[in-house]
This record gives sequence, C-alpha cells and structure tokens, in this order.
Amino acid sequence: MILQAVLLGVIAFIAQSEYALGTSLLSRPIVTGLFTGIALGDIKTGIIMGATLELAFIGSFSVGASIPPDVVTGGILGTAFAITAGAGTETALLLGLPIATLTLILKNIYLGLVIPTMNHKADNYAEMGNYKGVERMHLIAGFGLSLMLALIVSISYSIGNNAVQSFLNVIPEFVQTGLTVATGIIPALGFAMLARLLINKSVAPYFFLGFIIVAYLNIPITGIAIFGAILAVIIVNIMNFTKKNEQSAQTTDGEVLDDEDF
Amino acid sequence: MMKTSDPKEKSLITKKDLNKVFWRSFQMEFSWHYERQMNMAYVYAMIPILRKLYQTKEEMASALKRHLEFFNTTPHIVTLILGINAAMEEENRLDKKFDEKAIDSIKTSLMGPLAGIGDSFFWGTLRLIATGVGTSLALQGNILGPILFILIFNIPHVALRYLFTGWGYKLGTGFLKKIQSNGMMDSLTLGASIIGLVVVGAMTASMIDITIPLSIGSGEEAVTIQSILDDIMPQLLPLAAFGIVFYLLKKEVKPLSIIGGMAVVGILGAWIGIF
Repeated sequence: MILQAVLLGVIAFIAQSEYALGTSLLSRPIVTGLFTGIALGDIKTGIIMGATLELAFIGSFSVGASIPPDVVTGGILGTAFAITAGAGTETALLLGLPIATLTLILKNIYLGLVIPTMNHKADNYAEMGNYKGVERMHLIAGFGLSLMLALIVSISYSIGNNAVQSFLNVIPEFVQTGLTVATGIIPALGFAMLARLLINKSVAPYFFLGFIIVAYLNIPITGIAIFGAILAVIIVNIMNFTKKNEQSAQTTDGEVLDDEDF
Repeated sequence: MMKTSDPKEKSLITKKDLNKVFWRSFQMEFSWHYERQMNMAYVYAMIPILRKLYQTKEEMASALKRHLEFFNTTPHIVTLILGINAAMEEENRLDKKFDEKAIDSIKTSLMGPLAGIGDSFFWGTLRLIATGVGTSLALQGNILGPILFILIFNIPHVALRYLFTGWGYKLGTGFLKKIQSNGMMDSLTLGASIIGLVVVGAMTASMIDITIPLSIGSGEEAVTIQSILDDIMPQLLPLAAFGIVFYLLKKEVKPLSIIGGMAVVGILGAWIGIF
C-alpha cells in the first residue's frame, strides 16, 4: 500500500514534468493510465481506463491562459481507485473528480500567488545581473509544482477518496469562487507591465484600437496581429513619406525642381 | 566557425549556442504562471545566448530584465521566436545604435500569430490524430495505444522544434542585415511597437476574465449587472482592471501587493455575492 502510494507519486511527478520535457503529453491519462496499471499490477485495466479517461478529458486542455481541471491527479487517481475498487470504467472519472477539483484549487494558488512571488525574486536577481538566480527561480517553480502533485497523489491514495471529498466540503464556496475570480484578473498585471514597456504618447492609441476591435468584433488574436502588421506598414510608410518630403524640401531648397512630389 | 574571418563580420553565436537554446526550450511551460506566463522559461532558454554576448553586469541585467516580460505562445515551436531574438541580441551587442526596444516589440508581435498557427496545428490537428489512433488501440487494452500516442505527437513536434531554432536565427540575421543597410531601424521599432500594442490591447480584451453575474430587480424584471455593463461597452471590466493595474504600477505599487489585492477583491467579492 505504501509502496504503491509512493510509486503513484513518482508517476505524478514525471507526468507533471512533461512541461520540462517539451509539453510532450506525458501527463495525459492515456499515458499515466498505463503507468498506474504497471504500478498496481493490472496493466491491461490501466491502459483501458487511461483511454476512457483520455476521451473524457479531451476537452480539458490548456490553450492560452486557461487552466483546465487537473488531468495528472484526476487521471492517475481515477485509474488507481477504479483498479483497487474493481469498479468499471465509468466510475474511474467520478472517483478522480474530487481530487482533480481539490488539485485545481491548490494549483491556482500555486500558479497565481506562489510562482509570481518567485518571479519577483527573479526580477531582483535580474536587476543584479545574476542569471544563476533567475535560472534557479525557474527550476524551483517548475519542480515545486511536480512535487506538489506527487504529494497530492500519494496522500490521496493513502487516505482514500472519501476523506478527500469531505476535506473539499470544508473549504467555503466563496473562497473557491474568489480565488477563481482572482486568477482571471491576474493576467491584467502581465499585460500592464508589457504595455508600460512599449507605450509612449505617440503609440498609445494603438492599444485602445486593439482592445476595441476585439471587444466589439471578437476577432481572434492572430487576426488582430495581422491587422496590426498591415496597420504598422501603412503608418511607417506614411511617416517615411512625410520625412522624405521634408528632407527633399530641405536639400533641394532653392534648386529648380521637376520632381513630381512637389 | 571560420577563425580567419574578420572578427567584426563573424557572428558571435555558434551552432552550439543555438543547440543549448533548443534543449532549454523544452521547459517553456515548466514555470508557467498567471501573471507573466512563460516569461521565466523564456529567459531560461535565452540565457546561453545572453552569457555569450554580455560580459558586464549591467548589460546582463538589462538583457535579463527585458526577457522577463510577459510571454506566451505555443510551446512546441517557441524556438522560432527564440532564434529571431537571439539574432537580435547579437545585433544589439555588435551595433551600439541598435534599439533594444525592438527586441521586446518583435517578441510581443510574433507570439500571437505563432500561437494561432501553432495551437491549431499541435492541439487541434496533431493531438487529435494521436488521440484517435492511441485510444482506439488502448480501449482494447493494447499497449501500443499509449506508445503510438506519444510517438505520433512527438516525432513531428521535436523535428519542428529543432528546425525552427536555426530557421528563426537565420530569419533574424537576414532580416536585420537588410533593415540596417536600408537605415530603417527606426521604422522597424515604430512598426513593431504598433503591432505589439495592438496585440496587448487585444489580449486585454480577450484574456482577462472578469464578469459580475449578480442580478438586480426580481422575477421578469431582473437584469444582471454584467448585461448593463455590456450595454455600455463590452469588456469594460477587463479594461478597468488593466487601467487600475497600469495606474498602480505607475505609482510604483509592488506587483506582489497588486496580486494580493486581487485575491482579496476576489474573495471579498465572492463573499458579499457580486461574483
């Protein structure tokens, strides 16, 4: 039992570390199901459960800034509880869900509060030109999350599913909602810092242009970027055209001209 | 590298440096977080280049700081932007007149379009093929299912990631040489910051998530506050959030205090029931 809990923790650690391995899909249930099956001595059930969960989790995928229900803990523990309980494939998801939910809360705190704290430490190191410090913050942030998920899986497997569910019930609803709201707003900080870097009085309107177009017309970012590129070419051409006119006005001042620009 | 060539013409960045960037780029989502997303991983991947180019503490500090800004794109082909940025850093080192701002602007203006193409190819197409083949075998308990799932996705992924590194660097150097011989650096900087800001504005409208579902009135008459706000202007709250944070940063409020404040606002708001 303890050995199995540790093994499952190791699987979670490696699965989460897919993000250090090129986002190579190692954390997907179809992969973790196989390893969970190996750890619990029922490879075939592990593979089948993994595939079932893979299809169930197919929509939950991080694209852009959204974080889906946690597939690492959900996949591993769903498969594990289903194997140990001898339950059918349908129950695998149901059993993994409370832990996936709990993990999402903890993960949101980690990604919304803990890593940003490390990031600001990295800012301080950068200020001093200490690249080693910056590297260290990046690595600690990443391995910290892998370790956290490993512990969640090991502990949850040891104490069982019911205990996790009752722990989840203790956390007030408004705290969960509040943290979700906060993680939705936090990107504003990243954008504001970026804008502060790029903005000056002459280009400030372009920020609002981009905002207004998306707010009213809901165009995807790629479309906006292409629009921005075309706009940039036009603006730059106009600037160069006026500059050229000014220059030729200066250099050719007093000369006889047959330039069609004039 | 040819050792006999003119040192000024010789590029400082070698194949070996680019390979280091390639390997480090595998960690692009490792330290992902809500505030600036892939920024720490981006610096981490750029560090071999920065170490090669900048020896003084001041140069290193300013390079590290500029790459710690917000960054997010499809992780699998991020090496294209890393390669272009590496070429720009090299140019910045060799040419004192180079505008460092162009490095940020190019990065910001490229991450959106690359994510648009990359997300649909990797998450949409390639992953679905891998999932289709993998699950159909795995549902019968066949161990080839998970194995093929990983291989189908990752063989094209790693190949593209590698090719894009060198490609990005070549694209960057070629493009920069042309720009410089035309004396168009100012135009590039202006153009890139226009694209960059349009994209930041667009992300503000689409990626900050805040709504007030609370309704006032009762029964048939009830309207949500959000629908009133939407009538004034869609995405008004994200813009307000951006504006407030922008103002606070200007007043030199620490970013960490701002995050803490957001958590307090979120929890208090949920407690009194407006979220």
